[in-house]
Amino acid sequence: MTGDVGVLASGGCHIFSGCGFPAPGLQDFEWKPLFSIGSFDFTKPMLLAILAALVVIVFFWVAFRSPKLVPRGIQNLGELAILAVRDQILRPSLGRKGDSYLPFLVSLFFFIYIMNVMELIPLLQFPVTSRIGFVWPLVFIVYFLYLYLGVKNQGPWGYLKNMIPPGVPAPIYIILVPVELLRFFVFQPFTLGVRLFGNMFAGHLLLTIFTLASWYLLSLSVGLVYAAGSFALAIFVFLLETLVTLLQAFIFTTLTATYIASSVEPAH
Amino acid sequence: MSSGNDASTQAQKRAAAEGRAQGLDIGWTVFSYLLAGMAAYGAIGWLIGRAVHVSLLFPIGMLVGLAISLGFIIYRYGRVGAVTRPSSRGNAKGDDR
Repeated sequence: MTGDVGVLASGGCHIFSGCGFPAPGLQDFEWKPLFSIGSFDFTKPMLLAILAALVVIVFFWVAFRSPKLVPRGIQNLGELAILAVRDQILRPSLGRKGDSYLPFLVSLFFFIYIMNVMELIPLLQFPVTSRIGFVWPLVFIVYFLYLYLGVKNQGPWGYLKNMIPPGVPAPIYIILVPVELLRFFVFQPFTLGVRLFGNMFAGHLLLTIFTLASWYLLSLSVGLVYAAGSFALAIFVFLLETLVTLLQAFIFTTLTATYIASSVEPAH
Repeated sequence: MSSGNDASTQAQKRAAAEGRAQGLDIGWTVFSYLLAGMAAYGAIGWLIGRAVHVSLLFPIGMLVGLAISLGFIIYRYGRVGAVTRPSSRGNAKGDDR
């Protein structure tokens, strides 16, 4: 079973009818290919990712196609979006000197946010970032920039030296080297990617469980009460997810900004 | 509301945003340190344990790594004023939008 086939299959399956709960699981994150080119399968998450990129590109292109000094209409919205990222994400970490990274951070934030929020849009209803394969390239881009800026601004040796703050006695320095190397090259990028993926994966799974359970528990019996409870929880999770989608995009971009800041100016 | 109040509200908002970014950064760095310490010294312990046929060195290595991480986290972030920020940040006056 792939994708939302599981949901459809439960169409006639209700409690007390001798039918077990068709529990959602990993199969709800696997999609049948929409079409195949040779051995390459094009699936719904890929389509959604392209759609997300197009939404970001088209929105900002339309907003700033012919910018006016006094913004009107969609340019207002575009400026609001950019200023929100600048004042809430970029400036707190990088200060004014970091304004040259604004286009990158704005694109990153809105690309992730649109991919996340697709979970809540009817018909799309799948967060692209709940497939970890879509998250690693973003982590790779961020980490490449992080390393590149660090080496460029501090030099390769200075960059490695600055990983451990100055003032640490020499023996402790040696003890810390393996910890620091693992943290920097393995666990920091790992947590950056897995945090985004895990939150979106769990959110989608919770929504699927409660929505499916509301339908499954629906029957002219005490099941109706259970169904109502499950439906209330589905709505609650939906509202929670509106917050989580935004929060995860915010955290990813904020951490990117702090990484860039630590590469440009090492901690004192 | 006078413009003076506006300026102080702006400054407060800016300080809150800076605190939020710093908190997120430190929180996740600390988490990464804990994992990295256990993994690094767990691996060293496991390798030595394999060489000398003492399997107990693997968990001992992990505990030692955890202790090192905790010690470093306390040294680095545990003291008041231990975290310094580059001086150029946060000194922006007013709003230039």
